[in-house]
Amino acid sequence: MRTNSRRTVLTGFGVLSPIGSTPDALWQALVAGTSGIRTVTLFDASELPTHIAGEVPDFSAKAFIDKSYRRSLNAMARTVELGVIGAQFAIQNAGITKGTISPQRIGIEFASLMGATDLNDMAGASKIASPDGQTVNMTAWGSPGLNEIAPLWMLKYLPNMPACHTTILHDIQGPSNTQIPGDTAGLIALAEAARIIRRGTADVMVVGSSESRINPVSMTRFNLFLQMSKRNDDPTHAIRPFDATRDGTVPGEGSAVFTLEDLTHAHARNANILGEVVGWAMGVDRGKKGPGLARVIRNALTSAGVHPTDIDHVNAHGTGSTLGDAFEARGIAEVFGRDTPVFAPLSRFGNMGAASSLMELACSVFALKNGQLPGTLNHEKPAADCPIAVHTGALRTVTKPYALKVTYTDLGQCAAVVVRKWDS
Amino acid sequence: MKRRVVITGMGVITPLGHSVGELFASQMEGRTAVGPISKFDARTFPTTFASEVKGFDLAKYMPDVTRYRHCGVNTRYALGAGKQALAEAGLLEPKGDRSRMGVYLGSGEGTEDFTSLATSTATFTAPGERTADIRQAVGLLFKRLNGPQEAEQEMFSPSGYLADAFALDGPFASCQTACAASSQAIGEATEMIRTGEADVMLAGGSHSMITPLGITGFNRLTALSQRNDSPTTASRPFDLTRDGFVIGEGAGLIVLEELDHAKARGANIIAELTGYGSTADAFRMTDPHPEGRGAIRCMADALADAHVNPTDIGYINAHGTSTQANDAAETAAIKAVFGDYAKKVPISSSKSMLGHLIAAAGVAELVISVMALLKGAIPPTINYQTPDPDCDLDYVPNVGRELRFRHVLSNSFGFGGQNISLVASRFE
Repeated sequence: MRTNSRRTVLTGFGVLSPIGSTPDALWQALVAGTSGIRTVTLFDASELPTHIAGEVPDFSAKAFIDKSYRRSLNAMARTVELGVIGAQFAIQNAGITKGTISPQRIGIEFASLMGATDLNDMAGASKIASPDGQTVNMTAWGSPGLNEIAPLWMLKYLPNMPACHTTILHDIQGPSNTQIPGDTAGLIALAEAARIIRRGTADVMVVGSSESRINPVSMTRFNLFLQMSKRNDDPTHAIRPFDATRDGTVPGEGSAVFTLEDLTHAHARNANILGEVVGWAMGVDRGKKGPGLARVIRNALTSAGVHPTDIDHVNAHGTGSTLGDAFEARGIAEVFGRDTPVFAPLSRFGNMGAASSLMELACSVFALKNGQLPGTLNHEKPAADCPIAVHTGALRTVTKPYALKVTYTDLGQCAAVVVRKWDS
Repeated sequence: MKRRVVITGMGVITPLGHSVGELFASQMEGRTAVGPISKFDARTFPTTFASEVKGFDLAKYMPDVTRYRHCGVNTRYALGAGKQALAEAGLLEPKGDRSRMGVYLGSGEGTEDFTSLATSTATFTAPGERTADIRQAVGLLFKRLNGPQEAEQEMFSPSGYLADAFALDGPFASCQTACAASSQAIGEATEMIRTGEADVMLAGGSHSMITPLGITGFNRLTALSQRNDSPTTASRPFDLTRDGFVIGEGAGLIVLEELDHAKARGANIIAELTGYGSTADAFRMTDPHPEGRGAIRCMADALADAHVNPTDIGYINAHGTSTQANDAAETAAIKAVFGDYAKKVPISSSKSMLGHLIAAAGVAELVISVMALLKGAIPPTINYQTPDPDCDLDYVPNVGRELRFRHVLSNSFGFGGQNISLVASRFE
């Protein structure tokens, strides 16, 4: 069914991450085994049971944003800023400048979410409406409290704002969509962008993601309902994918943005090709049992026209959660057994939610490109309930041209993407 | 040859009824559901009214209702609308290859625990100050928030529960492109069936922003009508005196199905989804491009996708928000696409009666459009009293009319510049 379809290649990458904010810096950190997990500095999180996270160090959108657009930073929460700057980096990395591509032929697919409000954005109004800190007087909130809320407050947090600002800044007039299904959102965005290019609606798609989970409300919420590692005293060893001693995950933040391009179009402008997106699948494993994830993996391989033995390595989500890792390992094992190395990069930078799957995928794109697969950090004692071959330790030489990226949400929504090393 | 996609089921939970029949009847009668906000005390807000869903009881739809006790309204409304749609399509029973059936939902954020956020912040904000002691506020918030409830507010929840509740194990996606979201979900779900990734997609949207922070946000942006002395006439699309949109809430889901798949199982085919267009304005955060640059191209793309000419369109269901900027830009865009025929084709805005369902607006309006196609009846734009020289087309003012036609165009334009147009056609 896809025999006549257009081929889709990755031609640019922009990144902001706890371990590196250029493609080279990210790769060097992966090779060096650097961890980006540390005690939270963006706010005082010491009252929370888990107060470590993967922060993007020294991030300043102001340093990068076009001067004429600087005022709009007032209407951007950190998630939005990370996305806008990540997208700018990707577009620059792809060698795309305004006017070189018809605005109607370039679109955007982003993965993001509704940001959690900064408590200080509502501090003035809250004090007016709740002098006693126990109940809220809605009539006082409505007036005069409302005047304490900044007029553009809501725009700071809307999920589609990274894409919106990026379309304005780079004159992108093709399709624009924003995916929100949690940790799978990035792969859903990538698949949809590939579909859009294949059907001829656009030649280039900016495919990006951003999320910051390191703010008072998000960190508080995750501490309440996610299994979070209690290793506050040993942050760099806190996330332990598929390890017998794993005790939960750690939040992160970042932005990972690719440009995806029709192959003929990329050739015509002599673009630098990082890899090819050759297949994907999504599906639901109700109850997170494992066979549903295995089905999604098989469907992704089929759509790419490859077999399990063609896959150099599986790139897992590997969040370090007790139940999540066991579920993911069951699904992977059903297709690959212990025959194919599994690489889980998340332990180096934390779970970035909407930004996680493209960030993790990028690690495999560069592993294929550079011919070397970094090891999984903090996997030391293989867990009995994770019957897969986790790659650890030294760099391993890439032997096959394909990698498979897997991810899922807590409701068992699973996504998988197959990428191919680019051979010119 | 592209695989053809048909609609075999539709369901809605809206302020104007919890069934497609009720919704369409009230649209033809020109009824409105707009009234004072009852979900919280909004008496001192700049806007005190909304179009609310009333009398919704999830237990009527889901026997295991306690399972969803911590879920927000986006999940609840979606389950109600989804069950109706699947029941009509004959796909409620878990038969057929469920791995070929998926979900694509345009949906919003979870509902914030406003009281806990405000009280925890206030406790550690000194009188007259505008910043809180964050360390202590976070400590208190951690004690006050309800963990299970917070877990259900994650943005993957509504789409995830739809798949889970109705055994839709196939491809899924969920988008949030503001007011365009559910139309975009329907368009991209159609493409997923066309490519062969799925045979059936439950697609649409579910959204409520009638919450303290939702109304706060829209009021501060001055996007909402403030006609507090006359809520039922506040939504007045294309009228000169329009002063903003009226916020609504609800859900709509439709079953999209590959034609041969539908035929093979003897499904009742309601209509065909023939055209989809999607563009970005690349203009401003909240304002549409004044000449409707993106809207023009997305309508034209949808017509081309459906292989129809402008004059084949018998009715346009407009985005028609009742804001000054949208209604003028949409009118200009329709003129650019339809030329002389723009003056002849009936155009109406469901939002005049229903209010603006935000992420769920597009699907509710597509359902109304499809019913208009089936019944040969076009709902009016109510509250149309004072003509606007910039909006000089036939908006079917105040009274619906009978007209048989073959193709309908439905527009949805979102905050942030996403434009979506869909074409639905009589199935022949």
